[in-house]
Amino acid sequence: MEPIHTFDPVTCDTPWDRIYRRLGYRKGITNLSSFEKRVIDDAIDSALMRIHLKGTARRLSISSRSSSEITLTSGTILQSEALSRYVNECGEIVLMGATAGSEIIAAIGEETTRNNLSRAVVFDAAASEIVDSALDWIGNFFGGLIRRENKLILRKHFSAGYGDFALKNQHVVFDLLRLDRLGIFINEKAILVPEKTVTAIAGIKELKNKEDLTYSH
Amino acid sequence: MLKKRIVILDGASGTELQKRGMPAGECPEKWCMDNPEALLAIHREYQSAGADILYSATFGANRIKLSQYGITNVREINTKLVKIARKAVGTHAIIAGDIGPTGRFVEPFGDLAFEDAVDIFKEQIEGLLKGGADILVIETMIDIQEARAALIAARELSNCFVMVTMTYEHNGRTLNGTDPVSALITLQSLGAHAVGCNCSTGPAEMKRLIEAMKPYSKVPLAAKPNAGMPELKGTETVFNMTAIEFADFGREFAEIGVGLMGGCCGTTPEHIRELSRALSGKKSALPGIKAISALSSARRTVFLENGNPLKIVGEQINPTGKKDLQEELRLGKTTLIDIMAKNQQKSGADLLDVNVGAPGVDQKLMMREAVKRLSVAADAPLVLDSSDPEAIEAGLRIYPGRALINSISGEKKKIEELLPLAARYGAMFILLPLTEEGVPEKAEERCSIIRLVYRKAFGKGFRKPDIVVDGLVMAVSADPASCSETLKTVEWAHLTFGCASIIGLSNISFGMPERIWLNAAFLAMAVYRGLTLAIANPELKEIMNIKAAGDLLSERDKDGSSYLAHFAEGTARHNDVKEKLHLTPEERIFSTIVEGSRDEIETALTAALDAKLDPSYLIKGCMIEAITEVGRRYEKREYFLPQLIAAAETMRKGVFYLEPLIKKAKQNLPPKTTIIIATVAGDIHDIGKNIVSLMLKNQGFEILDLGKDVAAERIIEEIKRTKAPIAGLSALMTTTMIEMEKVISLARSEDVACDFMLGGAAVTRTYALSIGGFYAKDGVEAVQLANRLISKKRDAFSDQ
Repeated sequence: MEPIHTFDPVTCDTPWDRIYRRLGYRKGITNLSSFEKRVIDDAIDSALMRIHLKGTARRLSISSRSSSEITLTSGTILQSEALSRYVNECGEIVLMGATAGSEIIAAIGEETTRNNLSRAVVFDAAASEIVDSALDWIGNFFGGLIRRENKLILRKHFSAGYGDFALKNQHVVFDLLRLDRLGIFINEKAILVPEKTVTAIAGIKELKNKEDLTYSH
Repeated sequence: MLKKRIVILDGASGTELQKRGMPAGECPEKWCMDNPEALLAIHREYQSAGADILYSATFGANRIKLSQYGITNVREINTKLVKIARKAVGTHAIIAGDIGPTGRFVEPFGDLAFEDAVDIFKEQIEGLLKGGADILVIETMIDIQEARAALIAARELSNCFVMVTMTYEHNGRTLNGTDPVSALITLQSLGAHAVGCNCSTGPAEMKRLIEAMKPYSKVPLAAKPNAGMPELKGTETVFNMTAIEFADFGREFAEIGVGLMGGCCGTTPEHIRELSRALSGKKSALPGIKAISALSSARRTVFLENGNPLKIVGEQINPTGKKDLQEELRLGKTTLIDIMAKNQQKSGADLLDVNVGAPGVDQKLMMREAVKRLSVAADAPLVLDSSDPEAIEAGLRIYPGRALINSISGEKKKIEELLPLAARYGAMFILLPLTEEGVPEKAEERCSIIRLVYRKAFGKGFRKPDIVVDGLVMAVSADPASCSETLKTVEWAHLTFGCASIIGLSNISFGMPERIWLNAAFLAMAVYRGLTLAIANPELKEIMNIKAAGDLLSERDKDGSSYLAHFAEGTARHNDVKEKLHLTPEERIFSTIVEGSRDEIETALTAALDAKLDPSYLIKGCMIEAITEVGRRYEKREYFLPQLIAAAETMRKGVFYLEPLIKKAKQNLPPKTTIIIATVAGDIHDIGKNIVSLMLKNQGFEILDLGKDVAAERIIEEIKRTKAPIAGLSALMTTTMIEMEKVISLARSEDVACDFMLGGAAVTRTYALSIGGFYAKDGVEAVQLANRLISKKRDAFSDQ
């Protein structure tokens, strides 16, 4: 089994457009004055100062696959028809996890308590989008590593809670990634704490089919 | 060779090894050792195709990568693989010891300690050199710090030619955000003999990267693009660029001035053969510059050349007079430094001065820690400010960029200790024109010292672009002539000596009242005389305003766009305020809420009260109308969430302001309906709930917020206690959403008459209805739903 990669920090670009979109901004429709934009950008900057983005990832081989489950070489079985279809042509997967840390959660709480909910929602959106960006970043990291092996990593990710891949599998992912080492814990409802923590699975396949081309750019 | 023509590098080896039977998942280095004939053949094919330089098959032959296959004899493997390359071609080609990444990020960008990385690369390089490698190639680097570690390892072990190529994503930056120009400035300053790019992109995209670097390169540029992008041919996927097409791009690279060119993924000996033919006899445009006045961080370059706008060096990271910072540094922490850096950068600082000198502080340790922290926290290049050479060295070694040393004076000890350090790490330095005899009063004496120090620096390889002359600012309170002597020094540096200049701005006003005006006036004078950099506080708007004005007046801001942008927002706000003065009190309150101007609502309400308008009328008339308008704009997406909430907060503040007046007037306030609101058991997400709570409060509902992770029993208990007719439940996850059904079932089983509004990312209208609840997708819908539910209850009551 490959070792766990730890990324501390994850240095991805701030996804400004995605943060705005998450807040409901629609280009050409939403009216935003330059002053209002400055206030929101300041809030995003403040959020970034409180976000300590860390990640972890592990490359694992698939030893067998049926229509309803995949088995990893570690012996772990992941039951899900949707996941099995997702990794249809993949010989490996990368498990990924990323967290924005607990300081931003505390900051969201403080802003809410101080009746600055408009700032709190910006913090919340920034943290949510940046952890998702962190997963993309980790995916790109592995993409670079495996390029010389004539392989590529699927751009779309799969997560516990999607389709029939039950959220309880988050416990399995948590253990395989040793997320506790990043200061994360998981409650009995499979919710990761701190709140802005996400995990995902990305498939690795060899360059063989035309469809792969959409993944390779 | 580089002076005569473009040097040809070899092509891809991974795919060539696979063609010759290397199985997937195998350690390439071990397979090559076990199958030397295959490797010999590949090397010979590339050499006969025209490659001048062959890379040894040691791309992953470092301790970290080899350990994944249980291999530990790192040096031996590197030595043997170089010898195989030599056996293949003898002296008919140059053998480059190939060094690839470890797969880990190096501190401060990752968990691999910098000195461990240097050791890992030294181990590999020892093996390569023992095998007889002619040059070293550090390639496919995505982390500038890892590239630096490998380059420092190479320079500390040998004087041989070292080339470094980085891999850039499609956005033109590495994964860590390093752009090609910053990488070039950093690596060529650190002693790389050639710098460039390889892998990830085809020639078209890589050409843009080389073009970006060319104007700033002191060293030849190298390019090893992929053979285009992957494409389906039959049942196989191959890279889509033919050898001829690849060679055509080679000619374009020659025109833009590449010095070395080969191929990466997808290229074959045929690609190299055609490339070699296409570039035959073509001379590379040798670098036109010997030195460059530029500083870099991992993600940004700042140019200090003549004619550029004034650069501000943020001075705040200095513990002098800052007890909090001193304490933090003593404790080994860097949190305040992080905040100071970000605030200064946001205020417009181009560079950041870093000073950690204070009693009880381990300067060497803290300079290292501060530089590490700032390398991640800020994009601005750093100015390392210390009188301790060990602290300077610690900072320079770990810094993933090209730093500016503050400073090297004419004192013999300083020159002897600091010039070699600056040379070793390729740093620029501030030349402080004083000696052991003290600070010269006159500009003439300062200029002599500058010339003297420069002569010594020239002997170490420095040129004028590598130096910044300090004008030496003394307090005007001590010497009234100090201002003019400094300005003369600055002007001399600019017009006569031909060098950048810097001043520590606030020194001029030490001991004087109203210091800001002296600082501002001094800055304006110095800018006009050609000042390049000012160490100042960028958070002082007077200083930044003078900078903007000075840049415009001294023709450094040629079209005035920076000046206009600097003052644009203030002008817009001023116009807004002027417009509001013409509105009626009701219109003013309306627009204040619609614009979400929390700071103005009380003033607007006071004006309305002064105009004898009734507080209840203000709430029910203008304010509710305003928030309803906001809701309408939100639904049409003309407003988005922060604007909706800002308006709601403004309304809330206004209602809070008026309520005591209404109570005082003993007016009958309408009875408030209570709504219980909670995030269900097991769920910790509450931002959506908080938004709904605010919106409902603004509509006059009394909200009892039970918080998050609230058990069903408690929710029912509170509903019973308060007789709340409505309860709002929030859940984000599919695993916690099921708690909503539990709450509703419990309510029904206990005959609790309450309507349940349900919301959250996982909840759908279908689900809500299926469990006997109502659905509200956001705060606006929640308000509409609550009003409908209450209205229905009232109608039902009056029907009875």
